[in-house]
Amino acid sequence: MLTHATVEESQKLEAVRSRLMEGQRSRGSLIPILQTIQKEMGYLPAEALDLVAGLLNISAGEVYGVASFYNQFRFNPPGKHQIKVCLGTACHVRGGDIILENFERKLDIKEGHTTEDREFSLERVACVGCCALAPVVLMNEKTHGYMSPSKVEGLFTQLEIAKKKSESNKTDGSE
Amino acid sequence: MAQNNDRINQALQALREKAAGQWREFTGSTIPRIHIGMATCGLAAGAQETRDAFEAQLKKDNIQAVIHPIGCHGHCYAEPLVIIDHPASGLPPIMYQKVNEGKAVMLVKNFLKGNDPLLEHMYGAMEESDTIPAVMLFPRFNMEKRVIMDKCGRINPADINEYLALGGYAALGAALSLAPEAIVETVTASGLRGRGGAGFPTGRKWQFAAQQNAAEKVVVCNADEGDPGAYMDRTILESNPHQVIEGMIICARAIGAGRGVMYVRAEYPLAVKLVTRALEQARELNLLGQNILGSDFSFDIEVFQGSGAFVCGEETALIRSVEGYRGMPRHRPPFPVEHGLNGRPTVINNVKTLATIAPIIENGAEWFRSIGTEKSPGTAIFSIVGHVLYPGLVEIPMGETLRSLIFDICGGIPDKREFKAVQIGGPSGGCLPASFLDTPIDFDSLTAAGAMMGSGGMVVMNDETCMVNVARYFLDFTQKESCGKCTFCRIGTRHLLEILDRITKGQGKPEDLARLEWLAAAVKQGSLCGLGKTAPNPVITSLKYFRQEYEAHINDGVCPALMCRDLIAYYIDLDKCARGCDACVGCCPTEAIFTTANRKKGIDQEKCIKCGECRHVCIPLYNAVGKASPPGTVPMIEKPKVPVKDND
Amino acid sequence: MIKLYIDNWEIHATEGISVLQAALDSEIYIPNLCWVREMTDPPASCRLCFVEIAGRPAPVTACTTIVENDMEVHTDTEAVRELQRTSLKLLLSAHHVDCGHCPANKKCELQNLARFLKVKLKPAEFPTYQPTGLIDTSHPHLDYNRDRCVLCGRCVNACRDKNGRPLFTFAGRGSETIVTPLFPPAGQALDKDASLVCVDLCPTGALTRKG
Repeated sequence: MLTHATVEESQKLEAVRSRLMEGQRSRGSLIPILQTIQKEMGYLPAEALDLVAGLLNISAGEVYGVASFYNQFRFNPPGKHQIKVCLGTACHVRGGDIILENFERKLDIKEGHTTEDREFSLERVACVGCCALAPVVLMNEKTHGYMSPSKVEGLFTQLEIAKKKSESNKTDGSE
Repeated sequence: MAQNNDRINQALQALREKAAGQWREFTGSTIPRIHIGMATCGLAAGAQETRDAFEAQLKKDNIQAVIHPIGCHGHCYAEPLVIIDHPASGLPPIMYQKVNEGKAVMLVKNFLKGNDPLLEHMYGAMEESDTIPAVMLFPRFNMEKRVIMDKCGRINPADINEYLALGGYAALGAALSLAPEAIVETVTASGLRGRGGAGFPTGRKWQFAAQQNAAEKVVVCNADEGDPGAYMDRTILESNPHQVIEGMIICARAIGAGRGVMYVRAEYPLAVKLVTRALEQARELNLLGQNILGSDFSFDIEVFQGSGAFVCGEETALIRSVEGYRGMPRHRPPFPVEHGLNGRPTVINNVKTLATIAPIIENGAEWFRSIGTEKSPGTAIFSIVGHVLYPGLVEIPMGETLRSLIFDICGGIPDKREFKAVQIGGPSGGCLPASFLDTPIDFDSLTAAGAMMGSGGMVVMNDETCMVNVARYFLDFTQKESCGKCTFCRIGTRHLLEILDRITKGQGKPEDLARLEWLAAAVKQGSLCGLGKTAPNPVITSLKYFRQEYEAHINDGVCPALMCRDLIAYYIDLDKCARGCDACVGCCPTEAIFTTANRKKGIDQEKCIKCGECRHVCIPLYNAVGKASPPGTVPMIEKPKVPVKDND
Repeated sequence: MIKLYIDNWEIHATEGISVLQAALDSEIYIPNLCWVREMTDPPASCRLCFVEIAGRPAPVTACTTIVENDMEVHTDTEAVRELQRTSLKLLLSAHHVDCGHCPANKKCELQNLARFLKVKLKPAEFPTYQPTGLIDTSHPHLDYNRDRCVLCGRCVNACRDKNGRPLFTFAGRGSETIVTPLFPPAGQALDKDASLVCVDLCPTGALTRKG
């Protein structure tokens, strides 16, 4: 169920630990600590739960029990591109579920999952507060309003073009 | 005591004079000022790109102008919103709507460099003038009454001096000179009721807390706005955080608290950033911290980021999460005012409630009571979204009718459609039909109608919205957000959802309606906390007011609003379809649309996923794509065996 | 001492105790599941111990109501029984009713409750529970069977109260909530006896001894 950190991630985690050692270490700081780690790592690997348990002298299961209660915390690494489809009320009445379905079909994953190549992860979120632009999608924190199925296609085409551009720039530069 | 008061007043006076000087310098200069709304909704609509475009063009044309980032006006439909104040032009400040990068460049070139204010792109003048119609002439502006949002969209939320210059923290000065009991008395006399949902009298809550004999007490600002479709708390924090902070300090003074917690959703990064900065600035000016403004009163506020659990809007769950546990509500009593955060007496107030405190202290209880209705004084802020022409935030006096809010202020239903229902109070609220449009908006009238004020989310729905589907949506939300502690909420909402799910798929059974009613009543009565007790409201009200719609789904397999996808099918009306247009073919994500022998189009029902894209692209030109329910009733169009070539 | 009336019987109870405890002490049965004697802070989560109290508009949970002088309590009204039956039906609908293969058969509290409230073990109002097959065997002394767990929380709450340190916790949220055994931080020993006390507290056979 939990993902283990890679070697690179473990080093990162070690750096976070030394920072956390200096901060507050009471039970009340459990959630802020988890937030700091997730901000740094993108998710909470199994090692992070052990780390926090050690810091606060509680069981790692207790840390998981708390973390798994909240939507914010994830236990598997996010994709390179994070797609969040808003399913707030305004987005729902304007067809947000259809947009989500289109992403699911296009990426061949269900919401809450990451593609095998870790390029994309897909999430549903409840209201990002841009209801006037419904339906709304966040791709890498950029908001795209008035979404439609063909705009889903468009977003991927844009990414393709951007990727090709940066690749051709690279080869241009090396020549 | 008297001497102490003088010292407080002097300290505050010094801060305000300095701030006023800075403001005079800013507003008095002849250099043009470009105010850009940069709260989350503005940024989502592209305000950052607009700002970059202004900056680049100003530099290119070598024009001196100040860019002034401001919060949100509440006019979400018009974002990005820009106000240009160009004193040298002799014109009043002008508001422009939907200012994209192109418009930004044009405004610099034509208005700031040339002398053409591009009135074709304006919204209106911010002041009355002979030449340009003022925005105040529009109902969207002049029917509002701004108490809480008064300074939103006028000041830079990242600069405490702008708040001070417009009269901010004057109420704190006054409150520090008052005895704590006198503050509680004023708030009680104002009749202010908590803006978080249930409308409990704020003064009474403060009084309970003040009476507690405890060494340490806590004030919590509840900004865990989880209702999908409501975002006014976020907007207030992003546009004018100091008014909320000022309210918290006054509350702390009144009840004798030393610790404050601002509980903001982590999903609101901009609000977290601006609130954190505002707290730092307040601390620097000794408006927070030890011996505030030289008084004997000390108080500080920390920010706690809520990790995304709707149930944490409930007081006891919120407390558990700040303490570092799973946010599961507990039985009340004891109430948090007796036994709250870490066992200390705790007042938890909503953002809007706290933002109302400073105006009440400044203008008095009588003034506040003169706004709104007798039992619900003051104003209400709604984030009104869905099928209205001008969605956004609206602050109105309590007692306005739903009709005037939806039709006069927000422009009514767009696309020539009909009003069908309005959902008030989010997942805990109810759906009201057209017959309730003349209901006055106040705590008691809405509760009597079966809805509730809630946090102020309002979703307007047109006749293409299926009420069974909407009820299913809300139950899906509450079911996912149930904390899982008590039987009724954890399991009951799941069964409610399963029944609704079946009905929207056309698999409803005749006994389902009675079962829904029975189970909804039981969940309402049996649940432990407010989330569970109100979760069935959308089902109860929609069953009450839109029963025939449920019956059509169950008995006839028909979705009258043509929304439930399992019960509809799309078809192409060959009489309307234009031979030469291929828009539907091009946009279909599953290639379900084919061309017939005479170049007209048909839909392969097997492939169609009912996304509605073809209808969306066809409407403006031919309106040839229709929906029908049940799916079997659509006209069949034979697909040619051999694909038709384009040039035949 | 406090004098109150439960179902018209005059009862004397110590000040500060709950109506539920006062009733049970006087051998008046009120259905309950999540409550454990001497619990300081009852979770009130099973929603079974409803009673009606004269002067109050709606049924209340007996575990969270403190006894008062001359209080008039009714445990057997139609409104009370209806809520209790619904609550039990809901619990049973989220429980894998497979008594023939369950170690708790005949000592299961759900069976007792069903008999008392005259509720069928597979209530017709709800679809049958689909087992997940999830069994947590990570603990050295006990196993946890998700399909039998009704999340009463006795193992979570009572063990924390008794041992001063939790031995189980809830994880996940909503209908996905499960119970997870906790292991002490590195270097500290796992208390076998305390763990087995939790097994004995389990009303349904969701927690069973190993072997």
